[in-house]
Amino acid sequence: MERFGENYLEERKLVKRWKGPIPAIVCLLFTLVIFYATWWIFQDPRGGMRMYTPYVGYMYTRWWLIVLIWMVYLFNYWPFKRSWLENSHPLLKGAVLTAISVGVLYVLIKGFFEGLLGNFGLAYFNPGQLMKLPGVTEFFAIEYAALACLMFAAIASWLSPAWIVACEEAPWQDLKQPGKGVSILIMTFFLSTIVYFMTMHSHMGILYYPWQYFTSIAPPYWEKFANTVSGNFHVSWIMCCTVSVWLVETIWERYPFNLIKRNGLRRVVAFFGIIVIAFAMHFFLYFAQELTWGPAIRGTRRAFAPDWRWLHVGEMAVFFLVPALFITFYCDNWPKKFSMPVNVIIRTVIAIIAAIVLYIFYYKTSYLFLGTQKGFSHPQQFPMIPTIWLINIWLVHHWFMDNWPGWKMVPKTAEEVAKDHEVKEAMIRDVRWNPTFGWGLGVGVVAGVAVYFITIALLPIFYGAINIIK
Amino acid sequence: MSENKGNISRRDFLKGASIGIVGGTIGTMLVYSYSPWRKAYFPKVKRKLADIGACKNIKITNISETSWFENAALMGDIKGAGGLLVNQYDYNWPPFGDGSGLGKGSYQKGIAKIKHLLPDKLDEAWAVTEKVSVHPENAGGYACLIEMEELDGKKHKYLLDSGWSYKWTDECFKREGIDRMLKNREIEALFISHEHFDHFWGLPVTLKYDPTITMVIPDGFYPEGLQYIQDAGHKGKLIKVKPGLNPVVPGFASFVFAIPIICRVYGEQSLYFNIKDKGLVSVTGCCHQSIIQFAETAFREIKYENDKFHGIYGGLHISPFEDWDPKYDDLVLSLGKYGFEKIGCNHCTGILCAKKFIAANYPVVRGTARFRSKDTAYLGNGDKITFGV
Repeated sequence: MERFGENYLEERKLVKRWKGPIPAIVCLLFTLVIFYATWWIFQDPRGGMRMYTPYVGYMYTRWWLIVLIWMVYLFNYWPFKRSWLENSHPLLKGAVLTAISVGVLYVLIKGFFEGLLGNFGLAYFNPGQLMKLPGVTEFFAIEYAALACLMFAAIASWLSPAWIVACEEAPWQDLKQPGKGVSILIMTFFLSTIVYFMTMHSHMGILYYPWQYFTSIAPPYWEKFANTVSGNFHVSWIMCCTVSVWLVETIWERYPFNLIKRNGLRRVVAFFGIIVIAFAMHFFLYFAQELTWGPAIRGTRRAFAPDWRWLHVGEMAVFFLVPALFITFYCDNWPKKFSMPVNVIIRTVIAIIAAIVLYIFYYKTSYLFLGTQKGFSHPQQFPMIPTIWLINIWLVHHWFMDNWPGWKMVPKTAEEVAKDHEVKEAMIRDVRWNPTFGWGLGVGVVAGVAVYFITIALLPIFYGAINIIK
Repeated sequence: MSENKGNISRRDFLKGASIGIVGGTIGTMLVYSYSPWRKAYFPKVKRKLADIGACKNIKITNISETSWFENAALMGDIKGAGGLLVNQYDYNWPPFGDGSGLGKGSYQKGIAKIKHLLPDKLDEAWAVTEKVSVHPENAGGYACLIEMEELDGKKHKYLLDSGWSYKWTDECFKREGIDRMLKNREIEALFISHEHFDHFWGLPVTLKYDPTITMVIPDGFYPEGLQYIQDAGHKGKLIKVKPGLNPVVPGFASFVFAIPIICRVYGEQSLYFNIKDKGLVSVTGCCHQSIIQFAETAFREIKYENDKFHGIYGGLHISPFEDWDPKYDDLVLSLGKYGFEKIGCNHCTGILCAKKFIAANYPVVRGTARFRSKDTAYLGNGDKITFGV
C-alpha cells in the first residue's frame, strides 16, 4: 500500500556531507541568500513586487506557512509517492513542491477568501466589495481585506499543527491519505473559523464607520481586560500559541506531554497545555515591555499604545521560534546526551539567549537591508514578516529539500526506525517518579519562581544597559 | 554500587529540578505577569516640571490643512509605488519628479531639474516639475501661522511648516498675507514639524520671501532633506533640535519625539504654549506620536497653568487617509479624560475622526469648509482659532 510521505521526516536519515558545523553553516548561508533574494523580489519596499505594504506581504507569508504545514503535516506529501520523495533530487523536489504550495496559496487567497467568502459571505475579505463603501480607497480596501485574511491565518497556523502535535491526528490517525488530511483540514478550519469569529470579527466590525453593532460585538468583550478594543490582544496570544506548538514539537520533542501514558488524556492536556504556555508568554512579554518602556497608555500611539504592545508580544514570541527551528533543523536538536528534561532546558535556554540576540540584531540593523524603517513601533514595522518568511524558507529547505546541500538523505532501515522508537521510549521511561525526583521537582519549582522574579528585576537594568535604537 | 546509586539520585534530582524550573517559571509567568500585583514594579512618574514660562495668548491662522486633494489619488500612488515604507523621495511626486514614473524617482534626479530655479522662480520650477511628476495637481500642503503675545505684550510670529505644492502654498500665503509678513521679516522662525512631503517640500515658497529666516527642524532628517534645505536657497540659521524639550521664548517650547514615520521619515517636532490662567495648548503638524503621548509627555516634563490641558490645534494623525483602525477608537474613547477645552483639529486628524470626536461631545471647533477644505467638522483653510484671547 502506498504510504506517500507518512512518517517520511522520521524515517529519513540526514547524513552530513562534511564534518562538524560546516553543513549547518553552509545551509544557513544558502537559505539566507535565498531569503534575501526572495525578500527583494517579493517583499522589499524598494524591490520588485513590493508586497510589504505591509498587510499584503504579511498575508501571503502567513498563509504560505500554513500551506506548507498542510502539505507536510496534514497530507504527508500526498499525492507524491514515497519512492519519488526518496529518490528525487532535493532541488527538483524543492522546486516542484514549492510551486505547488504557491499554487495552493494563490487559489486559497484569490479563490476561497476573496472570491468565495468575500463575494458570498463577508464583504471585508474582498477589496472589490470594500471599495464600494464611500471613502474607502483601493489601498486600504486591499489592506483591510489582507488584514482579515491574515488574522484567520494566525489562528490556522496555531490550530493546524496543534492537531498533529498535540492531538496526534486523533481520531483520524489510522485513515489513509487524502482522507486523513482532508478530515484534519476541515476540523482545524472549522475550529479556526469559530476562534476567528470570537476573536477577530469584532475587530473588523469596528473597523468600519459606524461600528457594525448588528453584525459584531462592539465594543468587543475584551476591551476592559486588554485595555484596548483592538484585536491585537488576540493576535498576541494566538501568535504565542503558534510559537508554543513549534517549541513543543521541535526542541521539546513533545515533552512534557509525552510523559502522559493515556492517549486521550495526553492529547487533551497537550492541546490545552500549549494554550496555557502561550498565555504565560502572552502575559509575561507584555509585562516585560511595561518593565522596560513603562506602562502602556490607552489611546496613545506606537510604543506606548496597549494595542501595539499586544502586537509586539507576538512579534517578540516569533523571535524565539527562529533559533528553536534552527536547533532542530540544522543542529539535530543538540544536546541529546542528557535526560530529556535536561536536554529540553538546555535547548530552551539556548533558544532564549539566541532570540534575545536576534531581537537586538533585528532592531539595530534590519532597516539597513530590509527596506523597513528604524524604530520599534513604526506602523509598518512587522518583524513577523521577515522572520516567518525565513522560517518558510527553512521549512521548504528542511521538509522539501532534505537540508541540501549540507546533508544527504538516506532512508532509514526498518531496524534503524525501530531503534529510534526504542531510544525515544527509553527517554520517556527514564523520567519517572521517585522521592529524589520529587525533591528535585519541589526545589525546581521554587527555583523557577526565583528565576522569574530575578528576571523581572534584571530586565530594566539589562534594557537600560543596551542601546538598541540609537 | 553506592557511587552508581549516587549518580542515579543526582540524575533523578536534576530531572525533577529541570521540570520544576520550567513549570515554576511558566506558572509564575502565567499568574503574576498580568496581575494587579505587577504594578508594584512600575516606577512612579516623577514630574520634572520644567518651567517654560507663560504667555498671554496665541492666535493661529490655518494657512492650509489640505495636504492633498484626493485621497484616492494619493493612496493609489502609494499603493503603486509599493506602500507606506517607500522612501518619499522615490515616489516621483513633485517637486522631485523626473519623468521616470511612479516609485522610480530620487531626490538627486528630481532636484536636478529645478534646482537652478529655487527659490525665486517658483512658477517656472513648478511648471517644469508638473510635466515630469506623478499627480502634481493633487499636491496641497500644510502650514499655519502662530501669533503669540507674551505677558508683557511683546508679540511674536512663527510659521509651522511650509506646505508642499509651490503653486498651492504660494496661493495660500498670498491669501493670508504671509508673503508680506515674510518680506517684512515679521516672522521670526519657521518650525518644521517633520520631513514629510506635505509639510516640508514647499520650503522654497517661504524662502522666496525670506531666505534668511531661522529654521528649526527636528533631529532625524535624512540626507536628502538636509540637502534640500540648502538647494532651496536657505541662507539663515538652521537649528536642529535633539529629542526632548526645547524652550523658545517664555510660554513657548517645542518638543521633539524620536519616532519613525511612514514614507521613510524620522522624528517629529510639536509645539507647547502655556497660556496664562488657561493651561497648556498643543500645536502640531501631524502629531505622529499621538496627542495623548504629547499630553502625557507634557505632564511628565513641564509645568503649566492650573495643571490643565487647555487646547489643541493641528493634525492629530488619526485617519489621514480616512482609513480606520480599532486602535483609533482607543484614542477617541480616551481623549475625553484629558480635559481639553478647545479642540481645533484638522488635516491628518481625518474628517471621520472629527465626526467621532463630535459624536463623543468633545469641544471641537467647527470650520467653514472654504478654500478647498471639505467639511465643517473641523477647522479648514483660512479659519482661525485663538487660545487665551
